Order: sequence, then C-alpha cells, then structure tokens
Amino acid sequence: MRRPLLATLLVAGMLATIVAAADDPKAVVQRTSDQVIAVLKDGSLSSDTKRTKVEQVVLSSVDFPALSRLVLARNWSKFSPAQQQEFVQEFQRHLSATYGKRLDEYRNENLQIVGDRQESNGDWTVKSIIVRGGGNDVTVDYRLRQSDGQWKIIDFIIERVSLVANFRSQFQDIVANGGPERLLTLLREKTAKGEPLSAS
Amino acid sequence: MTRTRRAFVTLAMLLSLGVTPLAMAQQEDDPWEGFNRHIFSFNDGVDVYVLEPVAKGWNWAAPKPVQTGVSNFFENLRFPIRFVNDILQGKLIDSAQTLARFTVNTMIGGAGFLDPASEIGLKQSNEDFGQTLGVWGVPSGPYLVLPLLGASNIRDTGGLVFDSAASITPFFIDGFITLGARVIDVVNTRAQFLGAVAEAKAASLDYYVFVRNAYTQRRNALVKDEDTKDADTPNDDTLYEYIEP
Repeated sequence: MRRPLLATLLVAGMLATIVAAADDPKAVVQRTSDQVIAVLKDGSLSSDTKRTKVEQVVLSSVDFPALSRLVLARNWSKFSPAQQQEFVQEFQRHLSATYGKRLDEYRNENLQIVGDRQESNGDWTVKSIIVRGGGNDVTVDYRLRQSDGQWKIIDFIIERVSLVANFRSQFQDIVANGGPERLLTLLREKTAKGEPLSAS
Repeated sequence: MTRTRRAFVTLAMLLSLGVTPLAMAQQEDDPWEGFNRHIFSFNDGVDVYVLEPVAKGWNWAAPKPVQTGVSNFFENLRFPIRFVNDILQGKLIDSAQTLARFTVNTMIGGAGFLDPASEIGLKQSNEDFGQTLGVWGVPSGPYLVLPLLGASNIRDTGGLVFDSAASITPFFIDGFITLGARVIDVVNTRAQFLGAVAEAKAASLDYYVFVRNAYTQRRNALVKDEDTKDADTPNDDTLYEYIEP
C-alpha cells in the first residue's frame, strides 16, 4: 500500500501545480487576498513575521520586474543592465518597507471582487472593493499580465490612481535631472530612513 | 459617441504633430510648477503643524462611530451639490436616488448622522461642478494648487466656486456656526486620512508630484465615468507598453 499512496501523492502534487498554473486572473487575486488576510488574522504571529509572510505572498503574485520596467518607461533603456537589476530590487524594497509598516492597521477589512474584463492588449483587469464600512470603502483594480503561463499583477489602481503611472511621473523628473544614479540613491536613502524594523 | 470621435480626432492631430499620447499620459500640465510648489509647501506646513495634530487629537477623542456619524452628517449636507450636478449631467436616475438618499437619511437617519440609505442600496453619487464642466467638454486646464484647499486645476476651481454657492449651509445658518461646522468637517475628514497621508508621504520620492499625478488621474477617471460605466482604469493602454527608444 505504500507505493500507490506515494504515487497518488505525486499525481495530486502535479495536478495541484497544473491547477495553480492555470489560475485565471480573478483566481490569482482571490488567492493572494485570501492568503494575505489569513496571515493578517493570525494572532499568533509577530508583526515582523506577518510582514515577511505577506511580502512572500504578494511577491509571488506580482511580476515586479515588469512593473518596474513599466514605471521607468522610456528611461528603462538609460539604465545599464546592472542598474536595471538594482532598480527592481531597490524599488521593491522601498514599497515593501512603506506598505509593510501599515499591516498592523489591519481591522478585519475584506476584499470583494466585483468584476473583471480583458484589456485591448491582452492584459486583464480585476476590480475589487476593500470593504471597510461607513462609506469608507476603497476601490482597488489589479492589472494582470500573463508570463510563462502565469497571470501576475503588473499594476495596482487604488481609487482610480494607477501606482505605475504615479511613480512614472515622479521618477521622470528625477532621472531627467540626475540620471539613473540619482534615482537609485534617492531610493536607497528613502528605504534606509523609513525602515522601521530590523533590516533583513 | 461624439466624444469618442472627438478623442480620435485629437489623437490623429497629436500623432501628426509627432506628440505621442504617451507623453501626455506621463506629464501633467503644470506650467506654474514653481508657484504651485510654494503654495503646496505652505499648505503642507499648515497640515503638519496645525491640521494633522488637531485631527490626531480628534481621532483619539472621538470613537469611530462618532467620526463616521460626523462624516455622514456633512456628506448629507452636500445633497444640493450632488443633486444639481446629477441633473446638469443629465443623470436623472442618479438625481432621483440622490434625492431619495437625502430624504431617507434626514428623516430616519437622525438628521443624517446615520446612513440607512446605503443599507437599502441607495448609492451615493459623487458629482461636483468641476466634473459637470468636464462632462460638457471643458478641458481641465493647467494644474493649480489653491491655498488651504489644495490640489485643483482651472476647471475644478471654477467648479468649486459654483458648488460653494449651491451648498446648503450658507442659506440658513449664521456665519460663525458655518465656520465652526466647516472646521469640524475638515478636522473629521482629515482624521479619516491620517494613515493614508502618512503612507503617501513615505511612499513618494516627490510628494508634490505624487499628489499632482494622483489628483489628475482621479479627476480624469471621475469625469470619464459618464461615458463608460466600467472605465475604471484611468489610463490608456500606452501606459502598459514597454518602450524601446
């Protein structure tokens, strides 16, 4: 009986992988939100652990290199390959540090997916509402793109403000005036200053 | 449909001029940036040294249900603005809903402190005269930072003047009370955004550009809503293309 069990497990494992790979955009957003909320609701975890876990969950659903490249837009080519890599890393650290700080403010909000649609270039938008009650609900749209068979988030549109467009606008002047190094320095400084928890 | 056609004509003109729409998506119209930045840092000073501390105090003193009640109360008072602009934009169903909301919340919602209208599915429309002008085809004009009032543009500033004339309070309440009410409204509203503002400041490398871009994106999306109900993505697809030089 040992071997059939092992085989079953293997097959089940493979199936699970296939199912995960075939997740549609809506399912990706739902799964990410479920996992994040599960971590946030777990009273046994410290703030530090929560932050690390949430970061892992989010990073597995976000195509961060794609997102970073869209943020830099035409400036992407002004960065050397090494600088590009550093930008992706620093930008990600910056966002993690900023948004990670607010995880402790979680007050049982829930995410409701309210619709989705295909975009003209093949991307997919999943629309959601973060239900907070008292007229304070927040609309969040996720833009997803398929890469290697996986749908991954490439933009967050919060209350109709696209994160990619917003950072693109900010970074444009900085790169225009100071070049790639200036932007990388600013990001490093910001992260170093804002880091509330032990650097990991 | 005429709007779509107009958009195409504009696009064709821009392309023929060699200006890509991308350049538009990326750059906000801000010819008075120097002046705007001064007003912006003045406003931010007022916020950091006066408004935010007071809002923090209020947030500490007033329980959440009280804050929500105050939000509801002032939201309910904005009824004339919503109603007039629903009509001016030709949204008659919305205007009926706005009227019904006001009636329900005023009569059985404790003068507007509660929001039973939302519970029975009467949605709040969020219209103002700046949006109405946008729907009528008035361009937003350059970005403008107003002293104390914050981010705006030429069109929305005009809208603000119109809306303040349509506001309920000046009609029947004594000036000092109006001022007092305004202060409570502002402080209470600021208290709802304590976390969000702190986060925005932490997240941005240039807070001025952050606010300018967010304001522009959001206002464009709110105006565009009139045409396509599900156009929640504020930007055209060029935003999502990799650009090679």
